[in-house]
Amino acid sequence: MKKTTYLILGVLALATASCKKFLDVNPVDQVSDSQTIFDGNSAQTAVRGIYNSLESNNYYGYTFQTLGFFSGDNIKYVGSQTVNQQLTNHDVSSDLAAINTSWAAIYTVINQANNVLAKVPPLATTATFTPALKNQLIGEAYFLRALSYFDLARTWGGVQLVLTPTTAASSLPNVKRSSLAATYAQVLSDLTQAEALLPNTTNRIRATLKTAYALHARYALYQQDWPTAISYATKLINDNNYKLVTPYSGFFANNAANTSESVFELYYNTTVTNEEASQWQPSGNGGVGWVVPTSSIVSLLLDPTVGGNRSALIETVVSQGVTSYFGNLYYRTAGTDPAYLIRISELYLIRAEAEAETGDLTDATTDLNAIRTRAGIAPTTATTQSDLLLAIENENRVEFAFEDHRWYDLVRTGRAQAVLGLTSTDQLLLPVPYSQLQVDPNLTQNPGY
Amino acid sequence: MEIFLHAKLTRVPLIYFYLAVLLLPFAAAAQNETHTITGTVEDAGNHQTLPGATVTLKGTKNVVATNKSGKFTLNTTQSPPYVLVVNYIGYDRTEVTATGDAITIGLKTGNNQLNDVVVVGYGTQKKEDLTGSVAKINDADVNKIPVGSFDAQLQGTAAGLQVTNPSGVPGQSIFVRVRGTTSINSSSDPLYVVDGVFLNNTSLQTLSLGGGSTSPLADINPADIESIDVLKDAAATAIYGSRGANGVVLVTTKHGAYNNKPRVTLDISGGWVQADRSTLPKLVTGPQGAELANEYWVNSGIDNPALNQTVANEPFRPVADGGLGTPDQQQTFDRIDDLLRHGGVQDYNVGIQGGSDNTKYYVGAGYTDQNALIQVLDFSRESLKFNFDTKVSKNVTIGVSNEISRSYRSQAFDGDGPSVNLWNSAISTATYTPKYAANGTSNGTDNIYILMANYDVHTISLREVGNVYAEAKIIDGLKFKTSFSVDYDNYDESAYWDTETSIGKANNGEAISALTQNSTWTNEQTLTYQKDFGIHHLNFLLGNSFQSNTDALTSATGTQFANDAYRDISSAAVRTATQTWTKATLASFFGRFDYNIASKYYFDASVRADGSSKFGVNNQWGYFPAFSVAWRLKQESFLQNVNWLSDLKFRASYGITGNQAGLTNFAAKGLWNGGSGYADVYGTPAPGTAPYQLGNPNLKWEQTAQTDLGFDAAFLNNRISVTFDVYDKQTTDLLVLDPVPEISGFSNYYTNDAAMSNKGYEFAINSVNIHTDKFTWSTGFNISGNKNLITKLNTPITDYTRNWVIMQQGYPMNSFWLYQQTGVNPQTGAVIFAGQSANGTVTAADRKIIGSVYPKGYGGITNTFAYKNFDLSILFTYQFGNDELNLNRYFRERNPSSGAVDTYVLNAWTTPGQITDIPRLTSVGNNYGIDNSTRYLENASFLRLKELNFGYTLPQSVAQVLTVQKVRLYFVGANLFLWTKYTGDPESSVTADPNAQGLGSFGVPPQPKSFQFGINATL
Repeated sequence: MKKTTYLILGVLALATASCKKFLDVNPVDQVSDSQTIFDGNSAQTAVRGIYNSLESNNYYGYTFQTLGFFSGDNIKYVGSQTVNQQLTNHDVSSDLAAINTSWAAIYTVINQANNVLAKVPPLATTATFTPALKNQLIGEAYFLRALSYFDLARTWGGVQLVLTPTTAASSLPNVKRSSLAATYAQVLSDLTQAEALLPNTTNRIRATLKTAYALHARYALYQQDWPTAISYATKLINDNNYKLVTPYSGFFANNAANTSESVFELYYNTTVTNEEASQWQPSGNGGVGWVVPTSSIVSLLLDPTVGGNRSALIETVVSQGVTSYFGNLYYRTAGTDPAYLIRISELYLIRAEAEAETGDLTDATTDLNAIRTRAGIAPTTATTQSDLLLAIENENRVEFAFEDHRWYDLVRTGRAQAVLGLTSTDQLLLPVPYSQLQVDPNLTQNPGY
Repeated sequence: MEIFLHAKLTRVPLIYFYLAVLLLPFAAAAQNETHTITGTVEDAGNHQTLPGATVTLKGTKNVVATNKSGKFTLNTTQSPPYVLVVNYIGYDRTEVTATGDAITIGLKTGNNQLNDVVVVGYGTQKKEDLTGSVAKINDADVNKIPVGSFDAQLQGTAAGLQVTNPSGVPGQSIFVRVRGTTSINSSSDPLYVVDGVFLNNTSLQTLSLGGGSTSPLADINPADIESIDVLKDAAATAIYGSRGANGVVLVTTKHGAYNNKPRVTLDISGGWVQADRSTLPKLVTGPQGAELANEYWVNSGIDNPALNQTVANEPFRPVADGGLGTPDQQQTFDRIDDLLRHGGVQDYNVGIQGGSDNTKYYVGAGYTDQNALIQVLDFSRESLKFNFDTKVSKNVTIGVSNEISRSYRSQAFDGDGPSVNLWNSAISTATYTPKYAANGTSNGTDNIYILMANYDVHTISLREVGNVYAEAKIIDGLKFKTSFSVDYDNYDESAYWDTETSIGKANNGEAISALTQNSTWTNEQTLTYQKDFGIHHLNFLLGNSFQSNTDALTSATGTQFANDAYRDISSAAVRTATQTWTKATLASFFGRFDYNIASKYYFDASVRADGSSKFGVNNQWGYFPAFSVAWRLKQESFLQNVNWLSDLKFRASYGITGNQAGLTNFAAKGLWNGGSGYADVYGTPAPGTAPYQLGNPNLKWEQTAQTDLGFDAAFLNNRISVTFDVYDKQTTDLLVLDPVPEISGFSNYYTNDAAMSNKGYEFAINSVNIHTDKFTWSTGFNISGNKNLITKLNTPITDYTRNWVIMQQGYPMNSFWLYQQTGVNPQTGAVIFAGQSANGTVTAADRKIIGSVYPKGYGGITNTFAYKNFDLSILFTYQFGNDELNLNRYFRERNPSSGAVDTYVLNAWTTPGQITDIPRLTSVGNNYGIDNSTRYLENASFLRLKELNFGYTLPQSVAQVLTVQKVRLYFVGANLFLWTKYTGDPESSVTADPNAQGLGSFGVPPQPKSFQFGINATL
């Protein structure tokens, strides 16, 4: 009886004393957000984390790219999510899931870059965390933020500019949409900062000074700042580390990656995978075959005078007696296809276009023919400025058949209405995600949606 | 066997018994005025003696129990005649008058539920003393039909308990709701407690298999269950604190009884399951499909000439013209028929239970094997159960309750998703597509013949559910109990995707091995005090508990195999692995105070304090009180002589309970994640980190305040009993992922920021309609209705692909969010949606909240007949007033050139003036371009003949010849008939996601009909 009482008291006392400790349980594969970037190593892991988000399936790993893919006339969607065809029909509803997914993915990258930009500069340098490395990491964050805002601007127009990290639900960003000009100004500002900090090295999967130059060239092209486009493109074209590989398929076929064709590509492995192949490849190859080339791009690629050896981009499959074509740029079944963001051929075509616009038809023709020669087709026959510009547009279409160029090229040149039969200029921008309008009173919808 | 056991197990107690009998006369002689009443208690029907029945000398506290021979001896100083009151569970309370001579008392099988003992939180109560709302279900109702888990058998058996069986795959999770859905993001499943062990009810499945998830409850052998008590109102559930809001299901397993001779029961049954044809999709024939494909092709070409689709190049044109042959040349290939089978089911159970003076035991062994109605899917379970209680001294009892089981599943992809999906591959492939064609597939689905031959996905769950306890009587009425319990599940999944399957083909074979170990330990102390002070009855409970749950997963994937002969991951060229670990702890203190005056006025109160590691630091502890009162009118003097009224009691309760089930273990913390790696140089992956979630230090449980009013009444000597309850559950602080603007870099974070209400009623009536010696007929009927409403939600939440489902303030949970098809233009065949613009386009603003996923009413009706040695029980279950979005129709009512289409499409508009709701076939425009159309929304009310159980018990004379006590031969049929307007199985659901409940049929095999024959013998 007495013993029992002691036992009870003992158990209760022990129990109560250890309660607080008992209830303090922490995860082992995550850390508190108060201790994330505190030294050189954690700064490096945080920057890698940005690239990881950049290459996620929601951004360059698939979804964001599909906005441009399906809006253009090279690629169409035939899978079960038939709503994606809204993009092809230019009748996009603001509740299209891909729109919100992409929007969210881009701002995720921006927030991570903002974390690095806020937390890395105060860090003290050490023997291993050298000032150069620190500058590089900050420069990469600026570059990645520039790329993100560039993608937002060209898809949605002016957007909300968030430049500080979100660390608590109690301090969410509270900003209105900026104008398109202000958004592009932010891109330029970030690019300029990046160029001041990044090392002048060659690394095709990370941002370097040269990567920043390449994006700057593209940025200038979008701004129709022809001299800048020419000068920045030239920096890359004159760099021996970047070459047009021959034949065309040399940059992707037979598991090629990280070739000298590449200025900026994203690296995938079996742990971090690229979704494109599973969407493009037919079921016989382990994909679902829901993203397919349009018949018009198939004809162009198969035309020996237009596609040349770029016909390697497509393959055939026979299903139920019907032969159909599928895109074969993304084909690695383990999901290890790179995402091709900037290839050297783009710099040639940027310079060609800028030269043509400035009336330098000779140099423009030379640059255009560099691409045509590599593709194994005859030099251009265009002689007038307008013919040459059209030739460059058409070259872009075929050269980047399954990369995310066509739609944005047509939009920036003002040709989308004519080529794709748009009925309103409102269709040149995608709608702001419906769900974001619900959540964020600062946000306004684009006209026409 | 019987003799052997008898000798082995009862030798010692028998000696005591004989001694007692020998000494009795001397004892009687010693005190002159003492009288001895002896007698036997037996079943009035079959004259089996009943050990363990209590015999009370009326008006005294003089109580004895019958011994293993059903005999009792009662000593008293009173003089004859005596009034004896005999109680035995499952039998009528019986009063007899004894003269002093040996008496034989026959008990009739009971319909008087009021005398049942009901299991409540941390104790038991007599049903007549309940102040809360508790439904009791006896074992007979939980082990009949082949569904794997006992919860699936509860459909229609208790008011307030809504059970929906979303698929025909045995051993899959099902939806169980006690008084409605209380949560958006947390679980609305009840808490399951087996013999005091908190049972994990969250599937450990990690393989992504599309639709359902495996049910952890299927690891429990229903044959070991004695009874199930469902705690519904706050008075009953508040003692479970932060886990009580969704109701509590208390499972009591068989324990044997003291002074009970060993009883061996054998139950063997076998039979088969097969598809209910009325629930299968009705596909067009090959020629019809080809005709429709041509029509679709040509119409699309007319609408958009750029497509270049004309009659000249339509797919089904003569082979000579390069086509696939004309439609009438097509054959019809029935894949569904090839996939279906008569799936064998078999079930074997043997149990031994009994007890001596100081010890009682139950040992059970079971094996069940249930093949699904389609190929590949199989569920089997072996289980061993051992319950043992022994009095180690006069005041101390110790015991164990233990089940070890091994559940084996052969699994397959079902539900949503095209690749390797067995059911989808069968119903999605166009019927004109030859079975073995090189590409006998479409829509990204696989060839089912390849799948059927090569499926290799299986899971083994090793489960241990056990409890040890010691209970000590400190002084009279005061007991201390301490217990330690464990729920351990070792869940081992392995899959190999053959190189011929679409997954394997992509990767030259893919193998996955995932091992999940989920363990919960609980340590509990309770102190109970029970005392009667004259007419004041007092019951007091005080306790504490510590619980810890750990879930660890190690998973490896291998791809690139040499060939299909090598299936271990170690043979793979590419190997990846992942590991997760998570843990939650809960510390609790609880108490209950029950008090009644003369079994007439009842006052109960309980409270629990829960501290949880899941809660934010600012809200670590939650407090959950409940109060209840009851007034047993029948005990009042003015009703004592109203003979037609056997009992009447009014009940009222109010209390607060919580729900923390859906709170992920670390949801309150702001976290960064590792694993977001990238490379510094090409080819060399390096680690990376990224923000994972925003923290919320205020995060806490969801809180439900529930009011319940009810009454229990019985009439005509308890032949009719009625229970009625109304309740109002107001849930606040609902866990929501509050969306934040994506510009923050986050999508949402967990907050307690929504509210929901559930109001409803429950009515149950049980009656013995006819009760003669030869024939009895009794009926049980229950109906419940629940109205769910989201009363606060700042931002509507859309769910599931295509956002078919929406949660919005002012509407019920899981509302359908659809474009309302108002018709088809008779002139053009164009679909018409409400609110569409002049040129036929619709915007998100045109979507409407429409229909209801929750039924207006549901329940069941059981009729039980017994005639001589025959017995028959028929259970109908029903549900009405709910809708289901038939995804199967959505997928089968479109592009006829890419897959199979339903016969509905034959009604597609073709000629001006035609009135139909199926628009003209075309790929252009909205006719088949809008996924979220009300066209697929169907009335899912149903009435189902859930179970028919027919048995014949061998006459006693035959049983004696066979030297057994009882033999019953039986037939059980399940889901034999279904009446519904829904085109499919109205309970089906595409995934186990509770928010997908109204999305039906797609990819999910319907519930099968089953036919089983069995024998149940007591040796």
